[in-house]
Amino acid sequence: MDAVEYFEVECPEKTGGDYYRRIADVVLLDHNLIRVVRKLHIFIDPRIPLFIAAGVTRKLPGIVRIRDFTDVNVQDQKVTISIGDETYLAPLLKILWERYGKERVEQPDRFTIVIRSEGAERSEIEEIPVYDPSESLYKDLIYAMQVIQPEGFKVRRQYYGKEKFYLVASENTLPENVEEIVRQKFALMGETL
Amino acid sequence: VNLVPVTYKGGIYRHDEIMDLIEDLGGYIIQKHVLAQEVVLQALVPKDDIPLIASIARPLTGEIVPSPLVGTEIAVVTMSLEIHHLPHASCDVAEYIRRNGAKTNMVGLARGFGKRIAQLNDEERDVINEHDLAVFLLGDFETCIQQKFPVLRRGITIPIVICGGPDKETLQKIIDPPVDGYVGNIGRFMHRTKESEELEKLDEVVSEITRVLDNKREEMAKDPPSVSPARLMDAINEQVEEIHDVLSPTPLTVQIAGLRVKLPYDTFAPVLRKLTLEGEVTVGEVADVVPSRMRDYILIRIKPFSETNIMV
Repeated sequence: MDAVEYFEVECPEKTGGDYYRRIADVVLLDHNLIRVVRKLHIFIDPRIPLFIAAGVTRKLPGIVRIRDFTDVNVQDQKVTISIGDETYLAPLLKILWERYGKERVEQPDRFTIVIRSEGAERSEIEEIPVYDPSESLYKDLIYAMQVIQPEGFKVRRQYYGKEKFYLVASENTLPENVEEIVRQKFALMGETL
Repeated sequence: VNLVPVTYKGGIYRHDEIMDLIEDLGGYIIQKHVLAQEVVLQALVPKDDIPLIASIARPLTGEIVPSPLVGTEIAVVTMSLEIHHLPHASCDVAEYIRRNGAKTNMVGLARGFGKRIAQLNDEERDVINEHDLAVFLLGDFETCIQQKFPVLRRGITIPIVICGGPDKETLQKIIDPPVDGYVGNIGRFMHRTKESEELEKLDEVVSEITRVLDNKREEMAKDPPSVSPARLMDAINEQVEEIHDVLSPTPLTVQIAGLRVKLPYDTFAPVLRKLTLEGEVTVGEVADVVPSRMRDYILIRIKPFSETNIMV
């Protein structure tokens, strides 16, 4: 957990807290999220019971556009897209099918897409957004928090966005002032929600 | 004869000689695994003959080691089958006990998680009670263990060994009435146990189980079962043809004072009851043949000598 700027597990039972520190460490490592998280504060009180994980992420990579991983060539009525990285091929094809229709989009081989279209602008095509990494990343983060939390805490509230996220979970109804408690946890990290 | 549980490990070459030898000496082979070029035999052999077997096995580079868990069936009770508990720690513990010769079954509770909401249903209770011993794998917090364990142990009649995150002394303090065995510092974790101190912890689980089972065996020695379960297994193997067509890994699972037979109850219970052991003595006279809660299996519970006045 050296890569993380701030990492604390707050728990009234010391041994339990130590185990959860190790669990959080292993889970984030296993889910490849350790380099995404900048600050993480976990609060567990088995007496209430209540689990809170509040964190701040690093600056996330921006939206992936067509120009980021392809070369686009426009000739008369034919647009040729040469693909460098296949990772985003599936979402790209889906977008192109929607935009130009399946019958106009051809894929002669794995790394080439040919579109028959009139008046297509190169710059316009290059700017099409294909994939937003932050969306799935936050979902992965919340999932990882659910793996860390004690099982059986089925009542949950979660939030993510603007480089911050939190998950509150309990097996009872959540306390009414739960957001207030979460704010306090963010304050401990020197952040405001 | 005083039969002791052992494991024999050796090459596949001429291993049938060892098997014949064990049987000729009056021992029983409980399980045989063939792994590529290697054979692992789990057997009960007469104590005095161990040096003899060892000397015959030496030219075949086979070795024989005592393994006290051979011939027992152990339930590893995990609070759920979610990613929170699997594969670590539940599988690690179950696998390690298996390596020491026991037949382990993992019992994943439907609603074992949580503090207030933890429950044990009647099917789970009955399945656990069919084993020789239950290992309960609990979580990391003593508050939770203290509240939920009384619910989870309700109706369990077999010896219990509990594993939990708090240390052994704390577990002993919070569990009332006491259970038979405790192993501390082995609660919920999410990494594979491969460091030496973690393996030592697993060794501790095995030695705790061994201690509890030894106590149980000692207790039983005062009023021994009318027939040895291994002998019963042999009789079924010889007289019931269909058992050889069963594809389960252990069609006959030996317990300390019983046997699980993986054949359908309705068809085979009458057959098993009429099976002869020695002279006129039948299985029905020395044991109860009852339906198991596990699938459609049969459970044979051997009656103690004091009940039958028969010793085969």
